[in-house]
Amino acid sequence: MSEPARESIPPPRPRGFWAEAWNRYRRMPLAMAALIFIGFLAAVALFAPAIAGTKPVICKYKGRLYLPCLAYYNRGWEPVVFARDKFRGEYPANLEAKDPESWAIWPLVFQDPYRAVRRDEWPGLPANPARDQGHPSSRNLFGTTQTGVDVFAKMIHGTTVALLVGFVSMGIAATIGITVGALAGYFGGWLDVVFSRITEVVMCIPPLVLILALLAIVEKPTIWKMMAVLGLTGWTGISRLMRAEFLRLKSAEFVTAARSVGAGPGRIILRHVLPNALAPVMVPITFGIAAAILTESGLSFLGFGQPPPSASWGSLLNDARSNLKMWWLVAFPGAAIFLTVLAFNLVGEGLQQATDPRLREARK
Amino acid sequence: MQFRPQPPCSAADGGRLFPAWFGRAAWRTIAAGAVLLVAGCGGGGEEPTPKPEPVLTPADPEPPQSAGGEAGNPAEPVEPAAPAEPPFAPPPLEALNRDTTWIDRPVRDALADLAIELAEQPPLATPAEALALKNDSAEHNATILSAVGRLPAEGEADLSASVSRHLLVDLNSTNPILISSSAENDVLGLTGFGLFSFDRHMEPFASAETVVSWQTSVDGTLDKVVLRDDLVWSDGEPITAHDVAFSFTVIMDDRVPVPAVRSGTDQLRGVHAYDDQTLVFFHREPLATNVWNINFPVIPRHIYGDTWEADPTLKDSPEHVALEAQPVCGGPYEIVRRIRGQEILLRARPSWHTVDGRQVRDVPFFEEIRFRILEDPNTALLALKKGEIDEMALTPEQWTTQTIDEGFYAKNTKATAPEWVSFHFAWNTTSPFFSDRRVRRAMSHAFDHERMLGTICHGLYTPCTGIFHPTAWMATTRPLEPYRQDLDRAEALLDEAGWIDRDNDGIRDREIDGRSVPFEFTILCGQQPMAQDICTLLQESLDRIGVRVAVRPTEFTVLQQNMLEKKFDAAFGGWGTGTDPDTSENIWATGAGRNFGSYSNPEVDRLYIEGRTEVDRAKRAEKYARIQEILWEDQPYTWLYWRNSFHGFSKDLRGYVFSPRGPFHYSPGFGSLWKPAP
Repeated sequence: MSEPARESIPPPRPRGFWAEAWNRYRRMPLAMAALIFIGFLAAVALFAPAIAGTKPVICKYKGRLYLPCLAYYNRGWEPVVFARDKFRGEYPANLEAKDPESWAIWPLVFQDPYRAVRRDEWPGLPANPARDQGHPSSRNLFGTTQTGVDVFAKMIHGTTVALLVGFVSMGIAATIGITVGALAGYFGGWLDVVFSRITEVVMCIPPLVLILALLAIVEKPTIWKMMAVLGLTGWTGISRLMRAEFLRLKSAEFVTAARSVGAGPGRIILRHVLPNALAPVMVPITFGIAAAILTESGLSFLGFGQPPPSASWGSLLNDARSNLKMWWLVAFPGAAIFLTVLAFNLVGEGLQQATDPRLREARK
Repeated sequence: MQFRPQPPCSAADGGRLFPAWFGRAAWRTIAAGAVLLVAGCGGGGEEPTPKPEPVLTPADPEPPQSAGGEAGNPAEPVEPAAPAEPPFAPPPLEALNRDTTWIDRPVRDALADLAIELAEQPPLATPAEALALKNDSAEHNATILSAVGRLPAEGEADLSASVSRHLLVDLNSTNPILISSSAENDVLGLTGFGLFSFDRHMEPFASAETVVSWQTSVDGTLDKVVLRDDLVWSDGEPITAHDVAFSFTVIMDDRVPVPAVRSGTDQLRGVHAYDDQTLVFFHREPLATNVWNINFPVIPRHIYGDTWEADPTLKDSPEHVALEAQPVCGGPYEIVRRIRGQEILLRARPSWHTVDGRQVRDVPFFEEIRFRILEDPNTALLALKKGEIDEMALTPEQWTTQTIDEGFYAKNTKATAPEWVSFHFAWNTTSPFFSDRRVRRAMSHAFDHERMLGTICHGLYTPCTGIFHPTAWMATTRPLEPYRQDLDRAEALLDEAGWIDRDNDGIRDREIDGRSVPFEFTILCGQQPMAQDICTLLQESLDRIGVRVAVRPTEFTVLQQNMLEKKFDAAFGGWGTGTDPDTSENIWATGAGRNFGSYSNPEVDRLYIEGRTEVDRAKRAEKYARIQEILWEDQPYTWLYWRNSFHGFSKDLRGYVFSPRGPFHYSPGFGSLWKPAP
């Protein structure tokens, strides 16, 4: 009786490498907490204009629906009708006065990351405190800067900046690093020599110095150019790791098997080798994100970051330099930078432990 | 711009713009007189520094300097000698004396005169009482200045005292004719030799420490000076009239990269030494500004005479490199040690006050002066609180929030006074945006002046209405109404000027040469927080009426370069004051060196010429007042505020007296400070 039953149950299909890794990863509480924290940050970054802002998330004005909060993503996305009707950036009173029928859904916190809220901008509320008077309060959760800009709003919108810098710059770095490393490792020969030398040359360029030079030269320094520099200089570690993986794997049996059935180099690289080589480079990429965020904060702290008005965490620290008694300008952005960088590092470490077979063996 | 870029904040000086080097006569005379650019904004302490700024710093002066040094003073529009002019051949002294009627001009001891002036105002309190006060009201400020700003009675001062001063930036050069920033002015004013100076009312005089007599010819084209015969350089060689004539030759040589002191000096026809003591200055024209033009720094002929032509940069050859570190000084102090980027140590030289065993001049109040170079105002404030430095300029933020507690008052006190340093947005009148006066006025109407003054400037600065300070003799008597934010007016003016949002993208635009140009521009400013905050406020203000602004904080030298090359739409900057209103011609006359915005108005040009040739002060004042009114109408700048002096002093210091150029940049200036004997 039992025989047929056993036959009918197929043997458990071995789980894939990534599922296996995920299984191990989620048993690590610290790494999991870090991942959840990053997810939370990503949500904050994505929905920043709905959390803190002075423009309605959505409003009905003169019979049409608008999303004025898009202006926080791109200044040009603000519906033009409000400029034409001379709103002058102040929505609450103007909506009411120019169209009594209008309604609006407001961000959770009525504060702007780029300017101080003026008196009676929200009917009945005073202007933001300025100078050193902006202690944290129920209105300004994290206090205000010397010019009266709400720190909480800056922190929320600063999350967008931080994550954008981390992901975009490491995205660029990963793309270049993986491509260069894969080609060099797989083909070897003169291509390897050329790519390896290029890698070594780029390694010699200190990104910080390059960014400072760039800022002095370009007409309009923007955060995107900074990300590009970070990405264009930060790929060397990834590339070298990738090359080593490819050197190891290209003579593996499964690659030989693939080649023997006629697979071309493109197919072998993308389909067979790359997925198996990806695990080790995930770790430097994750660490790289943390480093990029730290670099951006450092540049802003020194005053070389995004041109003002900037919502970067580092720029808040820069504000704090002139008056250390305004502790809230140090504590909140400092904690945010610390926690974010820590989270990315914990995730990186978790990835390493979950994917490295030797570490796995050692644990057993 | 001190343009200051941020101001220079300090404008003070540093920059000499045009005029000559006024001042450095003796140790008491520390001043330089030109308009400077201020780099900072005030902030930082104003940074008087030159480079940057402060300001900003202020003051920084000389833009030309950044230009590099190459060709000297790019800002100088005036060629030293017109090609048509025949070579200068001075007539014999006998002929001069025979044909000329001489009028005696003042030869004064600045310190003695200050003592007389101060004696007329009885102190409001004893120093001990005043130093126990906190400077939190105008009344306390007046009491502190009155009680502590005193000269010592006989024996009261400790002549072996040392003092530590704050420099915001290092010196570019220790050669006085290469001076360009207020930091250099601070140091070289103590080590340099000069014949002339001016007091805190900006009245020029010859210094009794170096000059026996000063006479001007009736027709105003000659100045004759007789030097004292008991002057020696720090290496023991005598200082003579030949040194002065030699210095003129070097300053006017095109190969020498003189950043600042050539302007003004270039108005002279020539300088001739008839013997070791007698010196005659020949002017081309009898100008009201001739008294300033004869005031330039002096270098020793026996040192540079053989070397300057081989190395006209005065900095590159081995001899000149050695002199940079250990210059031969003609003033009361000599440089004994210089560590770049950290400190400069000066010591009083006995050969200044004692010649041949006989005391011929007063002994300076300090035996040793140490300049500490601290570029960050916050670091400097910590040093002041710890007693590591004895004085520094304070930023408004420091004044209102960080110098009010016991931590500051334990060792220090502070004082404030009006200073003629103003800050502005400069509009490039050749840019498509700002060529129209209505647009410039719209900018002035759109800016939130109230918030700038109240929040960013901490309510410490007063609104600025044009190029002359309301208390100056040349300022207009017509009350000019400061601009206030009025967005309706601003929008109406922009509409009138044709800047309307035609393509419905929320940004005003206008058709220029067949292309639709959106009203988007970049404003340059220094890197001081205050400059950035003010520009960000402009950005916020204009954003509300459909004009987009990008704020571009820029390193000071890059900023200067852009201004000089007129590669900008708008810039935030500041100017210190020169000693004579004519010094501002360099900023406003058509094609002038510091006319960064390319402003041009024939009437202003004409008034400047009339003002210079007019000798009667009341009539001159009318001309300059008219210039101020015209500029106010045209708004080539949006004038923002007058930055007053804010200074922190150790409680050990006495004798500080403020002028429109701050506490130090006049005569006696720093020379009046002393420490009481224990």
